[in-house]
Amino acid sequence: MVYKLTLTLLTFLLIAPVVSAQETVAASVEATVGDPPMIDSSLIPAPPSDIKAVDTDNDHGHSITVTWELSADDGSGMNNVLSYEVFRWVPFLMDELDTLRVELARVAAEIDSVGRLTGELKDERAVIWAAIDDMADQMPEAHRMYPEGGEWRLLGKVASGVATYDDTGGKDRKVSDFIPDFSDLYFRVEAVTSDSAIRAASGVAGPVQSYGQWFNTGRTPVFIAFMFFGIMTVFFVIKARRGAELYVRPLAGIEAVDDAIGRATEMGRPILYVLGLGTAADVATIASFTILGRVAKRVAEYQTELIVPTYDPIVMSVAQEVVKSSFSDAGRPEDYNEDIVYFVTQLQFAYVAAVNGTMLRELPATNVYMGKFFAESLLLAETGALAGSIQIAGTDEIAQIPFFIVACDFTLIGEELYAASAYLGREPVLLGSLKAQDYAKAAMILLAIVGVVAAQFEWNWFIELFHVVD
Amino acid sequence: MKRQIPLMLVLVFGMFLIFQYFIPHETSEKAYEFLLDWITIIGIFAMALAIWSLFRVTVAKVRTRKENWGYSIFTLVGLFSMMIFGWTAPNGEGWGWYFIFVLSVLMAIGMLVQTMSVKSGRGLWAGLMFVFLIIAVLIGIFDNAWSFHFMSAEPLENPMFRSFFDFVLMPILATTFSLLAFFIASAAYRAFRARNLLATLLLVSALIVMLRFNPYLTPIFGDYMARTSNWLMNVPNLAAQRAIVMGVGLGIVATALKVILGIERGYMGKG
Amino acid sequence: MKKTTYLLMAVISALFVLSWILKAGSLSGETDNYVIQGFLITFSAFLTLSVLSFLYADNPLYKFAEHLFVGVSAAFWMCMGFWTTIVQNLIPRLSDGLSSFFEVPPQPGDYNFFFFIPVILGILLLMRLSPKGGWISRWPLAFIIGTTAGLNFVRYLRSDFIKQISNTFVPLLGTEWQGIGHFFSNLDLSASGQLVTMAANWVIFLGVFCGLIYFYFSKEHKGAFGAASKVGIWVLMLTFGASFGYTVMGRISLLVGRITFLFRDWLEIIS
Repeated sequence: MVYKLTLTLLTFLLIAPVVSAQETVAASVEATVGDPPMIDSSLIPAPPSDIKAVDTDNDHGHSITVTWELSADDGSGMNNVLSYEVFRWVPFLMDELDTLRVELARVAAEIDSVGRLTGELKDERAVIWAAIDDMADQMPEAHRMYPEGGEWRLLGKVASGVATYDDTGGKDRKVSDFIPDFSDLYFRVEAVTSDSAIRAASGVAGPVQSYGQWFNTGRTPVFIAFMFFGIMTVFFVIKARRGAELYVRPLAGIEAVDDAIGRATEMGRPILYVLGLGTAADVATIASFTILGRVAKRVAEYQTELIVPTYDPIVMSVAQEVVKSSFSDAGRPEDYNEDIVYFVTQLQFAYVAAVNGTMLRELPATNVYMGKFFAESLLLAETGALAGSIQIAGTDEIAQIPFFIVACDFTLIGEELYAASAYLGREPVLLGSLKAQDYAKAAMILLAIVGVVAAQFEWNWFIELFHVVD
Repeated sequence: MKRQIPLMLVLVFGMFLIFQYFIPHETSEKAYEFLLDWITIIGIFAMALAIWSLFRVTVAKVRTRKENWGYSIFTLVGLFSMMIFGWTAPNGEGWGWYFIFVLSVLMAIGMLVQTMSVKSGRGLWAGLMFVFLIIAVLIGIFDNAWSFHFMSAEPLENPMFRSFFDFVLMPILATTFSLLAFFIASAAYRAFRARNLLATLLLVSALIVMLRFNPYLTPIFGDYMARTSNWLMNVPNLAAQRAIVMGVGLGIVATALKVILGIERGYMGKG
Repeated sequence: MKKTTYLLMAVISALFVLSWILKAGSLSGETDNYVIQGFLITFSAFLTLSVLSFLYADNPLYKFAEHLFVGVSAAFWMCMGFWTTIVQNLIPRLSDGLSSFFEVPPQPGDYNFFFFIPVILGILLLMRLSPKGGWISRWPLAFIIGTTAGLNFVRYLRSDFIKQISNTFVPLLGTEWQGIGHFFSNLDLSASGQLVTMAANWVIFLGVFCGLIYFYFSKEHKGAFGAASKVGIWVLMLTFGASFGYTVMGRISLLVGRITFLFRDWLEIIS
């Protein structure tokens, strides 16, 4: 009860002066627009016609697209239209909302200056929040009252020759560009000449409501590609499960991995596995986990030493999980020790300095670099080469591939890194998905060929098929 | 169960993020923003795990007296002093007993490690550890020249924190980075010993690009070097980049899909 | 340790002290803390030289710098993570009470209680440290991997698949093609002429084509297919060479920067 009372009181106190001010403004606006002094009526341009307002497509709502036919005097006729001004009918409730926002900003500034939230400020803020929510909820009702209780407001200008305007606002009711969804909105466009008093208004478009869509049609190409890819993958995986023979061409870098582990065992020296600077969010790192799993399993079988210094905390956690599972898969869970995979630091060159030191002191028989690499690729690979280790690298960072090619014995280039997991596991399921990948590549080549022809003969419809809205 | 639930989580969140891309609705946008923030926050918890791992491995080296164990002490000194600097700040101009405090905390940690390392005479080291600890605690309580901060970010302004950044981190970082210049020379040398056709191709195009503005070669080749290098960068380079990007894109898309569908479980130790 | 090592250490220490004294002396007029400043700059130069000494061989100085670097940088990231992510981003959104406690201005939002979920996931991640509860730490990891896999899936499907395909849509005969007769009667051999542009378009297109063929895994590379794949790898190698050469020149400037520090800020030989 007290709460409601405070709310009403506050709302009243805040709004009363604003409403009266609004009336003065509205009156003055009417004075200038409604009663233009001494206008040569022969100079008034033809009004924009056929005005339409629709909800903006493929968005989260809170936006209306207004279109119109250009005035007959824009580009032809008298050719005196300089710009178009777009208006929306806004209920006065919107101004009341604005006052509350100003009040909220004041409280927020006070909280900032105090540096923390006191009980008093918290209560004050809660009251304003509730009032804002209450008011925003009344917006559809206020808009239904058109043309009572509101007025036309200028939204913006576009230059002559342009016949569309997006009235895009925010979704946050606490911010002043808020446009309420599911409210009847009305729009009007005026053609303005160099003398701003000489103008011609269109008819009114509306009511129109803004709302969010559940599918972005501008992204249909991506959706089609998704379906194509998904179906292909599932199809080939099922086919592979049924036992179809799938050929894969040999990849030297992959075959080297197994040999390298054998070599390390013979020499009695460790294997260093570097996952790169990627985070668990990088798919290259995820691909690297699979290869690490395979290497760890072999290492466990041969009882060789494995060293995995990591850069990212989450990558470290996942890698520990991977190595641990691989050791138990190999039947040697007792050989696993938490310090095989350890964290170094999350600063690029500190990490490099430490790994370089490890290479020169532990003298690993083999260094494996798989994942995302940046400027450190060369420092690592060169040091490893100087230490005399066999080196196998794989990355999708184009700029770093040359350094690996120069300093490593085997390099997996780009996509080969992602294919590696299928190669190593030799599981039919993974090989099946590799087949799907190849078909996608064939589709790419085909589409590229058709596209080149389309570009030559200007079949723009075909090129448009690949247009994706960002 | 131990494997099923994580696989379910991967499927649900992966699919959600895919479909989210096609749904412009407010709810979907909001969920997207939340999920991205969540990842960052979980990452910070992982940081604690990481520091623990670093500490454990370093201490293990000292304890087992592994080769070069002595240097690991500097890692511990760097780690703990920087951590103390990051959570304390002087209150005014003077430093009071601050450095004695830092030193006794470091000594206490050293004694702790030593207690863990030695086989006999642990009592002595443990005793020393307590002495240093008590000194540190006493300074911490009674010295008003500086104080601990866990709440407002004043320690980031701590002059010691800054100095360590400017005079320890930065020089090593910049120098390690500049080592690249030397390493690239040795890499170039390695490339010179071209072993086969492919390596020769790489070498030739590298030479053309490297020597494109070389003043000594201009009289011989004119501007052909610069023009060939331009052509290399603009034509074959573009083609190869595109082929790689397309291949990598396919690889990423296929791997992501395999992960989401649970076909590839290598990241959980099942290859 | 050998006698020469001790001798070397002594010489280095003596040089260090000498440099400190000289540096402090030269700074004495300029700043109040000239002793500390002198030390810091000398130490910084010492670290720079220690790292550079790695070029000769692994040595105690490098080991010292490396171990110190690791400890300090790990703690630096932890402190920054704590202050910037937890205190400044997470706490203000968790609750007003916590914000007051941590003295940060709260950031109100409609669904802030959702931020407790990553906190819980983060705590689950910490369960790794317990020998029994380790399996539950897979949940947050699965969450992260699922979310980012979904995110990457659509992102790369759009940017590397669809966008790159449409980027290859270039008219191979140029935009001003007016028939073969017109082409030959107006043959232009200049660098900006139609023939050169056309040739570049063809090279790019065929380069992409052969590059993609090279990445084809499930078909044997022989015959025409094998030839195309061979051309593909040639184009790739040309590109790698060009990119290598380009980077080599860029890296040299890094070294120049570090040498400038040694000679200007420390030795003051150049200005």
